[in-house]
Amino acid sequence: MRTKLLAFTTAGVVLFVAGVVPALAHHAFGGEFDPDRPLLLKGKVVKVEWVNPHAWIHLEVLKPDGTKEEWMVEGGSPNSLLRHGVTRDSLPVGTEIVVDGYQARDHSLLRANGRNITYPDGRKLLLGSSAPAAENDRDPVNPKK
Amino acid sequence: MRALRNSQATIPHTIKTVAVALLLGVAVIPAGAQAQAYRAPRVAGGKPDLNGIWQALNEANYDIETHEARPALALRPGPYGAVPAAPLLALGAVGAVPPGLGVVEGGVLPYKPEALAKKKQNQENWLTSDPEIKCYLPGVPRATYMPYPFQILESASAITFVYEYAGAVRNVFLKDPGPAPVDSWMGQSVGHWEGETLVVDVKGFNDQSWFDRAGNFHSEALHVIERYTRASPDVISYEATIEDPQVFSHSWKMTMPLYRRQEKNAQLLDFKCVEFVEELLYGQWRKKPLSRQ
Amino acid sequence: MASNPWLWFAVVAEVTTVSACLTPVPAAGQVAKASLKPTAPRRLADGHPDLEGTYDLATLTPLERPRGAKAVLTPEEAAALEKAAAGRRDKANEAISGDRSAPPKGGDGSSGPAGGVGGYNYFWLDPGSRYNVVGGEIRSSIVVDPPDGRVPPYQSAARERLASLRARPTSDAQESRDPGLEPPGSYDDPERRPLGERCLLGFGSTSGPPALPDYFYNNLHQIVQTPEAIMILTEMVHDARIVRIGDEHLPKTIRRWMGDSVGHWEGDTLVVDTTNFNDQTRFRGSTKNLHVVERFSRVDDKTLLYRFTIEDPDTWDRPWTGEYTWPATDQPIYEYACHEANYALGDILRGARTREAEPAARTGK
Repeated sequence: MRTKLLAFTTAGVVLFVAGVVPALAHHAFGGEFDPDRPLLLKGKVVKVEWVNPHAWIHLEVLKPDGTKEEWMVEGGSPNSLLRHGVTRDSLPVGTEIVVDGYQARDHSLLRANGRNITYPDGRKLLLGSSAPAAENDRDPVNPKK
Repeated sequence: MRALRNSQATIPHTIKTVAVALLLGVAVIPAGAQAQAYRAPRVAGGKPDLNGIWQALNEANYDIETHEARPALALRPGPYGAVPAAPLLALGAVGAVPPGLGVVEGGVLPYKPEALAKKKQNQENWLTSDPEIKCYLPGVPRATYMPYPFQILESASAITFVYEYAGAVRNVFLKDPGPAPVDSWMGQSVGHWEGETLVVDVKGFNDQSWFDRAGNFHSEALHVIERYTRASPDVISYEATIEDPQVFSHSWKMTMPLYRRQEKNAQLLDFKCVEFVEELLYGQWRKKPLSRQ
Repeated sequence: MASNPWLWFAVVAEVTTVSACLTPVPAAGQVAKASLKPTAPRRLADGHPDLEGTYDLATLTPLERPRGAKAVLTPEEAAALEKAAAGRRDKANEAISGDRSAPPKGGDGSSGPAGGVGGYNYFWLDPGSRYNVVGGEIRSSIVVDPPDGRVPPYQSAARERLASLRARPTSDAQESRDPGLEPPGSYDDPERRPLGERCLLGFGSTSGPPALPDYFYNNLHQIVQTPEAIMILTEMVHDARIVRIGDEHLPKTIRRWMGDSVGHWEGDTLVVDTTNFNDQTRFRGSTKNLHVVERFSRVDDKTLLYRFTIEDPDTWDRPWTGEYTWPATDQPIYEYACHEANYALGDILRGARTREAEPAARTGK
């Protein structure tokens, strides 16, 4: 009995994690960005498009030859962030950020996915003022009012 | 069905009102700033009932200012006056602009000089610049007078506007949530009642939408105050005050009646329109592009 | 687990069925506690229960039960899994090196949705943190009938239809995979892309019907209720479904993206009947003959129960049913204007044309 319970618990973690994958219907990252074009961008935010379906963060990157390039970095939907207290002022123009990701498949575009978007010290961006568990906080068995 | 129900509801209520007034020796004075004799039936909660399918019936979406008919929405010089721009030629009279008495009080918009230049530029570049062409959300107040019906759903605790055009939606907050965290196409609407009138205060717009197909535009500073008042069983009297200090030298007002769709089975249908513009926006990137001529 | 949550998704995506040494335990023995004491639902002036509110459908409970799993979890099991999910979230939000290098050429190992390029950070997501509770039971799936908690198999005609080259993605289509793994022609035209990518409907049948959780983000729905019409607004993609109470369906010649919904009350339950789907929505591969019956009722002051039955004799040999609860939220729905800034769709098509023009640069797959 005990063995079986343990077997469930161990396997159960994987089982239910598997169950969570489902219709994660989202667009084709592999179609939009090129796995053969990895990059690391460091620069200042010049514009943030708080739009759907994807927010786009524009940053100005200083190239080794001294010229500047403006890149667009794709993020997720801003709406959940807005519910966590993020506003248009949360990522001010001039903020230094570091982005690793891959360039758009159409190489004429200075666009990349924001695989990791951090501050220069490595902290993830836009974690908001409140803890991520601002979502539904009910105890399933003893719901609080 | 719905029209009947509303007028049936009015009669007993009016009788009660008059009876009470007579008992109290008070004259029955209609509420509302204008001489509105009509008192709308109420929703639960006691506010005037704006529920229904409504539609504007005017030429405002072509041009909100007073205007004569024009050959087309995009023009080029002809030997005896403007003629349609080449891409619109095949539409013939279907592409012409009907005349309009205008919905702007005073007839003419109070543009600042540099903004007027931008409006003219918008108008000249209509085909590439009007957001309606790309089926973008219409913004406010343009959503009100697009030539498609819209529905108001009003309960005791919520008011939502659903527009057939592009499936645009506006939730009206009845408690002010504070400044909008980011800009949006339809703005952030906060509503309250003043007697018979629903007053909706809208801010938090982006600068992308237009007021019409004539290039009239705004900035992100746009602030719209709408007033919806039932004028009769089947008419809402609509007024919108527009403030945008970046574009206009002073605020201005537009007014128009909104008519209840009378068909027994009146309802909103699908006009997402997004799928209709995919060829326009993405056709060049098909594997086998069609001719663009 | 790596800080990049997409690697987690990748591992999980590889796990199809996991056999577990489980003894199926009868549901009765697994009911966690006695059901909540029923409270009288608050009512509107017309006497019907008040279903209004904004609801957050996010949950860890999947649509289908993993094979061999029990229908109901114990509180301890759920707590352990929820804690693990929270742990993955916290790990994903951890700081990384500011001095890091670019990710590996050839992809970072993520597959499925992340397509080898890693997607984006967890801080954008809101996938739900709790398992769903119905009648005091912590559910392992939304599907409750068939009793194994899984969608019935397709009829053979449906299988053929779906396998054909002409078949286009469904409204709840799985995200696209790497270009080399998708059916040929998947990037030829915008019309071949999933409806969510085209901004025609939200991902994952979030609007439905049936309305399902989107296990990514933007799960908020709002109900506004009037005697003649009830609106269900889905945040993504600002879809407002208006249910006409006591009305008849549209003529068969009018088909709609979310079908045509008419409703009536059965006691304290709102029953919504939806037909007249167009032939593009194709929820889970179904046809325009899809018929969905939904039942909304109020469980308590903060919770609705949502139950749906799916029928399409051209797709499944039998109807199937799911249910889950919708907890209220005090958070607002924000505008989800999608098409207006849909850079991605254009970039995806351009990317495909670039790949075709530069075959030497294509990663071998």
